[in-house]
This record gives sequence, structure tokens and C-alpha cells, in this order.
Amino acid sequence: MTIKDFWRNSKVGVMGGGSWGTVLANCLSQNCQEVRVWLRDEEAVRLMNSTRTNSHYLPKMILGERVHAFSSLERFFEGGLHATLWALPARVCREQARKSASFFSGDEILFHATKGIEPGSLKRISQVLLEELPCRRIGVISGPNLAVEIARGEPAATLVASAFQEVCEAGQVLFCQENFRIGQASDVIGVEWAGALKNILAIASGALDALNLGWNARALLVTEGLAEMIRFSTALGAQERTFLGLAGLGDLMATCCSPLSRNYQVGFRLAKQERLETILEDLGQEAEGISTAGSVWEVALRQNIPMPITHWVFCLLEGTLRNDLLRVLLQSPQAGTNRN
Amino acid sequence: MSRKNRHADTHAFSNTTSMTITELQDNLKIDPATGSHPLIRFEQVPIVKGALTQLSALRPALLKDVVERTLAEFSSKTASEKALGETLYAERRRLSRASPTLFTRGRYRADQQLIQRVYSDFLRPNFDQEQRHEMLSSLVSHFAEEIGGYFNPRIYRAATKAVPWGFSWLLNAASVRHFLPWGMTESLQSRLHIVGEIPLIQKLAKIGTILLVPTHQSHLDSVLNGYVVYLMSLPAFAYGAGLNLFTNPLLSYSMSQLGSYTVDRQKNHQLYKTTLKNYSTRILEEGIHSIFFPGGSRSRSGAIESRLKLGLLGSALDAEIYGLKKGGPARRRVFIVPMVMSYHFVLEASTLIEDYLAESGKHRFIPASDDFLQSQKILAFFWKLFSTQSAITMRVGRALDVFGNFVDETGRSLGPNGCEIHPEKWLTTRGVLGHEPQRDHEYTAELGVKLVDRFHKENTVLSSHLVAFSFFEMLRRKYPEYDLYRFLRLSHAQRAVPYADFLENAEKDLERLTQLAQHGQLFLASDLVLQNTLVWAADGVKQLGQLHDAAVIRVEKGIIRTEDLNLLYYYRNRLSGYGLSLRARASSFHPLPLGNHDDQGFLA
Repeated sequence: MTIKDFWRNSKVGVMGGGSWGTVLANCLSQNCQEVRVWLRDEEAVRLMNSTRTNSHYLPKMILGERVHAFSSLERFFEGGLHATLWALPARVCREQARKSASFFSGDEILFHATKGIEPGSLKRISQVLLEELPCRRIGVISGPNLAVEIARGEPAATLVASAFQEVCEAGQVLFCQENFRIGQASDVIGVEWAGALKNILAIASGALDALNLGWNARALLVTEGLAEMIRFSTALGAQERTFLGLAGLGDLMATCCSPLSRNYQVGFRLAKQERLETILEDLGQEAEGISTAGSVWEVALRQNIPMPITHWVFCLLEGTLRNDLLRVLLQSPQAGTNRN
Repeated sequence: MSRKNRHADTHAFSNTTSMTITELQDNLKIDPATGSHPLIRFEQVPIVKGALTQLSALRPALLKDVVERTLAEFSSKTASEKALGETLYAERRRLSRASPTLFTRGRYRADQQLIQRVYSDFLRPNFDQEQRHEMLSSLVSHFAEEIGGYFNPRIYRAATKAVPWGFSWLLNAASVRHFLPWGMTESLQSRLHIVGEIPLIQKLAKIGTILLVPTHQSHLDSVLNGYVVYLMSLPAFAYGAGLNLFTNPLLSYSMSQLGSYTVDRQKNHQLYKTTLKNYSTRILEEGIHSIFFPGGSRSRSGAIESRLKLGLLGSALDAEIYGLKKGGPARRRVFIVPMVMSYHFVLEASTLIEDYLAESGKHRFIPASDDFLQSQKILAFFWKLFSTQSAITMRVGRALDVFGNFVDETGRSLGPNGCEIHPEKWLTTRGVLGHEPQRDHEYTAELGVKLVDRFHKENTVLSSHLVAFSFFEMLRRKYPEYDLYRFLRLSHAQRAVPYADFLENAEKDLERLTQLAQHGQLFLASDLVLQNTLVWAADGVKQLGQLHDAAVIRVEKGIIRTEDLNLLYYYRNRLSGYGLSLRARASSFHPLPLGNHDDQGFLA
């Protein structure tokens, strides 16, 4: 049986029904036999199965015929799944993995599409899942992917990163769409950190727009931000070249330049003097950058890693700002000399 | 790390609740009378029969399988062509440089004849796939024949008696120097401390196949490993021994009759390596327990292994897959048991560290002299070993499965939160149980990482390790701006500090080690736990002053000094990899990956 044939006849589960999870479930439905989406809320399950849409996040996108939603884990896993995609907020991943561990047999392939890290422990989501689930083969999906655009069928590309070739191959078959290209990567650490760290910069980017600082300043933010991401991640074992690819620079561009991103909106509205609580209430979804900024800044401070933008974002979130963003950017290493 | 942070660290250590001494002792699981695990009895243990006994009968069929499997891996036209070319090139090069002795001449001639014959066939203008297959086949059969061992139970019985007899003879002869009262002979048990998960390995050996993977510091390891296996009441193990040891007809005959297979490190081509891996796989599949050193050779730096040879390690996973595919009641799982040897001093230390420094430092290292050790020093080593109060500690670690998961005593693999892992599930790809080279390579790489971690955690720190580490790092703090190669050239006057200051430092280092021990990061020898600083420090100093021509550490008139910084570095390296050294955390976020150097070239 070829790789394609096997996955065309497979059953795949999606944990979580946020906008990105729903879009990916729809991609899956065109490439496998059955897609099951797990949602915590029973009402949301009923709504999804009856209206064939995710009315809360993506009311305009019609779900594929093969997508079915469940709220009971027993029903979700019934008969076994060949692959599972985790698309939950970072802070609930561990708890949910622990609850569902007994349903896994070990031959499943895992993917996750969470661009965040576990708050407090600073563990990557793949680490969290490996610590809780009896499976070993895991991959991460990350790239410049604004869910709404992909839902509309606009062109995009993403990466599946895994140490296991078979995971990347499965990802390429399962998520492939006419306008959605899937690349392979092996630097799981780099891809996960890039996905988590760019959220911090998206907050800064929103604030930058609110302050009307212009395109030159944004370019400075992206350049300096990328350098910051690389400094931090390579210290943790990531490869620098990952950051010049889709999951690094690619994702950074998409999130920093698009007002569609949640983190961007948080930054924009905070800089307009709105209260964080109000913003989060309006968003109705997690903005991963908020918890990531706190944890990352704490470590950067302790380990002496220069991260001026992350520090600024941290202060913005805490409400203890003393410097303006422009000052931070102009004093950054990139803005100074770049000679060796 | 800044000075302020370092201070904060020490502060944190003193603040945490400390485990009581008895609790630490319980963790050590030792019999206070022997210093070893209660299950170890230093007496003539009945020999346990195992699968190795059948080796001589199995040998022809086994080698045939090895050849078939190896050839299957090179069956395509491109693979076989590449393998032939590479092998012939490497073999001709090796043979042209070899200088055979009286004993190895026969082997050399046979090699030469074969290679010459295949080479002339290879040079013929056109040959088909069948002829190519035949050429490969004759090479692989030749290698397999050389690798494969025999087993003779009578020789094994004789060896189990000879080893302790040899030890005891040296022990008692050497002890005379200490004017022991007549009749009061010291026994082997006071010199060999065998501790750790001995009940687990005994149980697992009955239901599965054990692959014992020890750390490697000295040539003495091979003898000790074989003897420890026997003392643990396990059947004889097959082991890989360097072909360079098969030079003396008596030794080579007895070794090959004890189930050892040969490993020729000079044959570095893929065809040989694959044949060797397949032999190892095949004997594991037969249920023959095996030993090999995953580090490949003796640790040059003195540090615990941090880079492993994954090729041979992968044979465990291959054997597991073949076993699972065969299925049925006869299927045996493969368990990997790490073992860590701790010596107060290593016979070959000065040659090893010179090798290491020359290799890693290149032009920056200036060798002092070319004083290589001679074989007669081995006797001197044993004499010194037994004439001093020093013991060798061997810790049998917790067993792992082929993926690096812990295994319980019923042979179940334990996953996250204690759940059971089914290996056949992890080895199933797209619904089919079988080999999948990229996946299997990744699993073995992860096993390697896990093993390195276990080696560090199963390590027993001896007083001499701590003394060497503490003194070395203290000197470093005096000259923080020097890199390794400048540091190793400190003048004699610069290499000394007051003993009282040293004691204060050593005590602080012990506090940090105790902290690590409480978190399961390492083990402490019992004297480090029970004795006061004055006593264990004096013991450590004495141990380090014993063997080598220049005292590694000497204490005179309240001053502690070293006469050989290279050797001190060697012994100090045993405690690298724990994030304890001066700049281990300075240049990186987390402690540097095991086996890495800090920005001044010291092992971190």
C-alpha cells in the first residue's frame, strides 16, 4: 500500500475546535476517510454537527462531509484513530493529554498546531505531549498561516517538522490542498520556538501601528525581533537557518503585518490605552503571546540574553511601561553598528 | 554566570531540606559488610547455563544468516557497486599499512589473498550482477567468519576460577606490604563494590535477552565485566573484543572460546560495519546475552561517555523487531542495561588524556613528552590497586527497552505516568510491523541520548573524583581568564593553594553534589556520605597520589599542589556534564549539552 493509499483510508482526530483547528480539520476531510473533532462544550458540538459550520469562529466556512464533532472522549477515540492533531491552547495541552492518554495505543502519529509554550515550565508542546502520551512519533505544523485566509482558500504554505520522516510524509498527504503547500523540516525545536516567540513580536507590532511609527520602524522591529528570536532559540538547541524559513521569518511577516492576528490586536489596543481584560473579553480566544512574553522574559533576564523588545512587551502587558517602543528599537543592537 | 548568580545558587543549595544520611544509604542498597549489593556473594557461584552454550553448534547457520542479511542490504546495483569499491579501497589501504607479527601473519596472508583475488575480478572490464554478488558474498563471508566466536563451557569454567584466583593472589601478595597479621587475608569483596539494580537484571535475564552496556575507562573493564556477570549468577555473555587483543595465541584462543566476537576498528567501511551489526543482532535474537562498550573505546578525556556508537546499539532494535515478527511463545524481548564503572585511578590515564588533548587542542597543545605506558605496568597497577585501600565501584543501572523506556521486572516497558508501552505499536508504520530505516535510526538516536543520561545518573562519585574536581576548579577560579591550553601550562608555583582553603571549597562542592544525589542525578560513595570532610578529602588525596609517576595531588606543609595538571584534568572530567564547573552555565541558557566544552575549551 502506498503512503497516499494508507492515509486516504485513515481516521484522524482533531483535538480542539478553534479557528485554526477547524480549518485544518477541513483540510483533512479532503484527504482521509473520517475526521473527528473533539470539543469540550456539548452545545458547540451539537451546533457544529447541525449547522456544518464553526459558527463561533468561522461562520462562513462550510465543513466537509467527513467532519464530525464529539464531546465524549470515548466516542472520539472509538475504534482507534490513525493520527491526532492537537490544536488546543498551550495552557490546557498537558491536562487534556493526561485525560486522553489511556485512549492511545502507541502506533498513532501526533501533530500539533499550537504556537505557544507551556506557561511556567517553558516546555514546548511536543515535549508536553511526549511526556503525557504513550506515543513517540510527533510533528509540529507551523508557518505563516492566518486561519481566515486559508478558510477562504487563499494561497499559503506551511511546514511539518518532525524527527521522523513518516510523520512529515503523513502531514504532506493529510493536509495538502490545492492552494496550500506543505513543506518538510526536521528542526522541531526551532520550528516550535519560532512559532511561540513571534507572538510576542506580533504584540509589539500592533503597538507600533497604534503609535503610527511607520514602515521603516516596522522593518526595524522585524529585523531586531528575528535576531532576538534567534538568540533565544539557538541557546536552546534550535538551528539558526530555521528562522530564515517559513516558520521563522515567514510567520513573523504574516503576524507582524496583518491586523488579523489576535496578538497584533492585543498590542494595538493596549497601546491605545485599553485595558487588557476588556481586550481579552472581546477577542474570546487565547492570545498566546501574553503568557509567552512573561515566561520568556523571565528566563532571558536570568540567563542574560538581550531581548529588549520582549522586555518592552512584558512591561506593556504588566502596565509598567517607562520607555516608548521607538526608543527601544533605536537603541537595539541592529540599529547600531553591525560589524563583527 | 555572574558572581552574584553563582552566590545565589549556593545559597539555594543550603536552604533546601536535606535528606538524612540513612535515607541516602537506603538509596545505595548496599550490604555494609561487603560494600556490594546483598545478592552478590564472593564465592564460587554455580555456573548458570544460557543460550551461549549452544553457540558452537549454532555457528554455521548463524553466520549463514548474517551473510544473507548483509547481502540483502546491498542488493541493488548502485549499493553493491559502491560497497565493493569502498571495501576494496579501504582493505587494500589497511593491508598496505599493516605490520603483521609472528602471530598475526596467518590472518594477514589470508586477508591479502582474498582481497587480491576479488580486486583482480573487480578490475575485469565487464561483469554482471551475479558476479558482483559473488564478489560481495566472498568478502562478507570472510568478515563474518572472522567476527564469529565459539563457546567452550570448560574454558569458561576455568576462567571463572582463574579470575578471582588471580585477583586474590595479587591481593594477598600485595597486602604483605601492609604487614597484615598472618592468616588475615583480605578478600576481593573489599575491593570490588558491585551495586545497583541486580535483582532486576537477574529477573530480566530469565525472560529476555540482556544487552549490557558499560562505560569504558580501562582495559581492565573487559575482565571485570565478565567476572561481574558471573558473580551476579547470570549465564555467560557474548562480548565484542577488539581484534587488536587477538594477538597472542593463548589469549586469542581462550577469548574466542568464551563467546567473544571480534571487532576490528581498522575496518571502517560500511560492508564490515553492517556485517558486524548483523552478527550482533543475530546473537541477540538467539537469546544470547551480550556486552559491548557503546562508547566504542576507552574514554580519552576521563569524562563519562557522551557520544555513543549508534550502529552497534541499533542491533538491539533490529533484534527486537525480528523477535516481534517471529512472535509466538519463544519470542524474547531485548533489554538494555547500562553499567557505570568508577575507579579511583586508571592505569592508562596519562596516555589517554594526552591523546585527548592532542586531538582536541591540535596546535594549541604542547605534549610534555612521549612517555607511553608499557604493558609491564599492568602488574604494577594491580599491585598498587590491591596494596591500597581502594575499591572499584560498578553500578548496574535500571534496565531500558530498545527505545530508552524503563522496564519493570516483568519486562513491561513503562511510558509516561507509568502506563505500559507496547513495543510492537511503536514499531508499526502505516499498519505494518517491520523495519523502517529512518524511524529506527531516530529511535536508536533517542536511546543513545537516554543512555548517556543514565550513565551520568548511575555514576558513583568517589572521594578522589570530588577532590580532583574541587581542586581543579579552585585553581581555575584563581586564573579565570586562562583558556584550557594556557591553564595546563601553569607554573609549579601557580599550581598550589592552602589546604584549609581547599577543604572549605571541597565541602561546598560536596553540598552541591549531595543536592544532585537527592534529585537522582548521581550517586555518592558511602564514605562521602558518612565521613567528615577531613577524612574523605585525605582519602581522595591519597588515592590520587598512588599510581602515577608524578603525584596528581600532593599535600605538604598545609599546601595542596599538583605535579601533573593533565592528569588532574583527566580525573576532574569525571564530574563534567553536571553543570558544576566554573563556566558550565556561563555561555548557554541551559547547562551545555553533555560532552560539550565551555568557551574556554574546558569540558563543561
